[in-house]
Amino acid sequence: MRIPVATMGLTLTVGMLLVMQGGCSKKSIQSGGDAQSTERGMAKSGGPAPAPLASTGGMDAPSATFPDLSLSSKPDDLETGGLRGFDSVSGGKAPSEERLGGGGTMLAKVEPSESTARQIEDIRREQAKEQAASAEAGLRDVFFGYDSWTITEEGRQFLTQDAQWIKANAGALVKIEGHCDERGTLAYNLVLGEKRAKAVRNYLVELGVGANRLAVVSYGKERPFCNERNESCYQQNRRGHVVVRSK
Amino acid sequence: MNRVIIGLMMALCVVVGAGLFGILDSRATDVFLEATRPDFQKIPIGVFGFQNGGGPEWLGGRIEEVLKADLQRSLVFSLVDLPAIGVKAREVSTTDKAIFKQAAENGVSVLVWGKSGQKNGSKDNELLMDGFVYDSGSDEVVGGKRYVGSTSVVRLMAHRFADELVFRYTGEPGIARTKIVYVAEHGNARELFVMDYDGYEPKQITADGFLNLMPRWSPDRRFIVFTAYRSRNTQDIDILELATGKRWTLVSMAGLNITPALSPDGNFLAFASSQDGNSEIYKLDTRTKTPQRLTVNQGGDLSPTWSPTGREIAFTSDRGGAPQVFIMSADGSNVRRLTYEGDYNAAPAWSPRGNWIAYVCRTAQRLYKICIVSPDGQKRIQVTTGPGIDDSPSWSPDGRHITFSATVDGKSHIYMVDTDGKGLERITFGGTHNSSPSWSPAL
Repeated sequence: MRIPVATMGLTLTVGMLLVMQGGCSKKSIQSGGDAQSTERGMAKSGGPAPAPLASTGGMDAPSATFPDLSLSSKPDDLETGGLRGFDSVSGGKAPSEERLGGGGTMLAKVEPSESTARQIEDIRREQAKEQAASAEAGLRDVFFGYDSWTITEEGRQFLTQDAQWIKANAGALVKIEGHCDERGTLAYNLVLGEKRAKAVRNYLVELGVGANRLAVVSYGKERPFCNERNESCYQQNRRGHVVVRSK
Repeated sequence: MNRVIIGLMMALCVVVGAGLFGILDSRATDVFLEATRPDFQKIPIGVFGFQNGGGPEWLGGRIEEVLKADLQRSLVFSLVDLPAIGVKAREVSTTDKAIFKQAAENGVSVLVWGKSGQKNGSKDNELLMDGFVYDSGSDEVVGGKRYVGSTSVVRLMAHRFADELVFRYTGEPGIARTKIVYVAEHGNARELFVMDYDGYEPKQITADGFLNLMPRWSPDRRFIVFTAYRSRNTQDIDILELATGKRWTLVSMAGLNITPALSPDGNFLAFASSQDGNSEIYKLDTRTKTPQRLTVNQGGDLSPTWSPTGREIAFTSDRGGAPQVFIMSADGSNVRRLTYEGDYNAAPAWSPRGNWIAYVCRTAQRLYKICIVSPDGQKRIQVTTGPGIDDSPSWSPDGRHITFSATVDGKSHIYMVDTDGKGLERITFGGTHNSSPSWSPAL
């Protein structure tokens, strides 16, 4: 008899979630295409979508449909979080039974699936391809000082060579990855990495490369080239990595 | 509301009572004084054993261990070593008044005990935990709780009992059932995981295969917002529903889309985007889906964190050349600089009580540590020390702890620490990269 009660509770909770889900979709469907944007976001099937090459400047509308996040619109006690206080046990009475399940916050299981493994393999292959193409082109990376996004004299020389190759290979698309060493915060290093990548892009544009052929991305300190804790390793990681993009 | 007031009054009574015992009772031993002196305002609590009745051998011990750790971390109670004050009984029942009295006379304000085991007549090998509470102020067994569930919820039983105790004596729900979302390495990728606040029960919640970064909870703790590298070349801000695994893209502008943070009422998402050239802070109305740019300057602005009232936002800006923490009104007006000490202050996190902002400060020795500063800038304390590179502070919902990541010798792990720098505890042990912890709200 007890199991059905628990199941009922679960069904009710899931049901409520679904109802609320439905409620918000109805309210906010303006342009449709929600399922696609979710799919696209998760990139579960197929390879990653190609990125726009350069900033378009205009403000992209965010996804038109997403769940209602207002706190006031939620029932108080959705996940049985509410405490109930102690029961009197005078006269040897037993406290009333509280059934626990699910671990408080319900979590959907994510199983790293075959498609994820395939995706990781795709990413690895794509990176290897980019690396090989960049090595063949002889593209040079640019290195930066601590906390700095100023291109050094050496960096300018390397970029002059890079620019010659890019101009000579009119069909090639180039990506500049900004990287940082492990010091400093994750968030600020993403901004710093972007400043480095953009400094490289701007210098290449100054040298006559079309901005529309240059994409920038920052990985901050999240994709280091080297994992040791010394200056020569840090120097390797403070980098504008110039890559021939695979399409 | 009444319950809160009653709870607070009781807490006051207990604290005063404990103070009186401390003064009047010269029989109190050194051990007891040691346990309570440095933080005399805590409520002295004694935990007896949990009798084992037919369950797995480890059951009673596990409950006692988890409960004690929770009570210790609550910072509301101080655990009293019962044998050390002459209370030798390991197991008691509701009728053992003489033992309770003896403990009370030795300065213990609250006593808890219980029993655990197989639930009688249960077909699914369900387990049962009974917990009881004695209060020296009223000299009564004030009540009990009975929890039933599978082996997988044993820790939750103890956590829930701890939260009930904290609630009874403070009127606040406690943090023992809270969770932490964080980033961990999985293969070559960085994926999101959720674990209990004490580091147990980690569960993977994304499996994209590349980079997912900077997760934050929604105020109702049903959703996680985070930065996802959709391909290797662009980033979105996505939202994931924990119960279903369903996912939506909230922000997909050109350039960086990082450091998302939902307002306390859930009506706005603040984030940083570089679509206009350099990183600026935006605010997306989650009801009308309208974005609004809040910062306008040549520097990089990022890492917004909301005050608990939702009226102000603290953030990082390098508009002066190096990153510093600033505060502005939630409409972008009235910007003022908060941090002045040192040339690198970033990653602010506003405490849920409103009285502190935690952030990463670079010391004179160029070490990245966790500092806290009052929102008026008048008080500043360096919380962590040591060689690690500390990052991503996030507050417990009771405002008494900070979780953060520290990188030592190339390995990142997640820690928690009290605001006074005590109680440092490492809470992740697996892998070599665990980062970006975000502490869930309490429910």
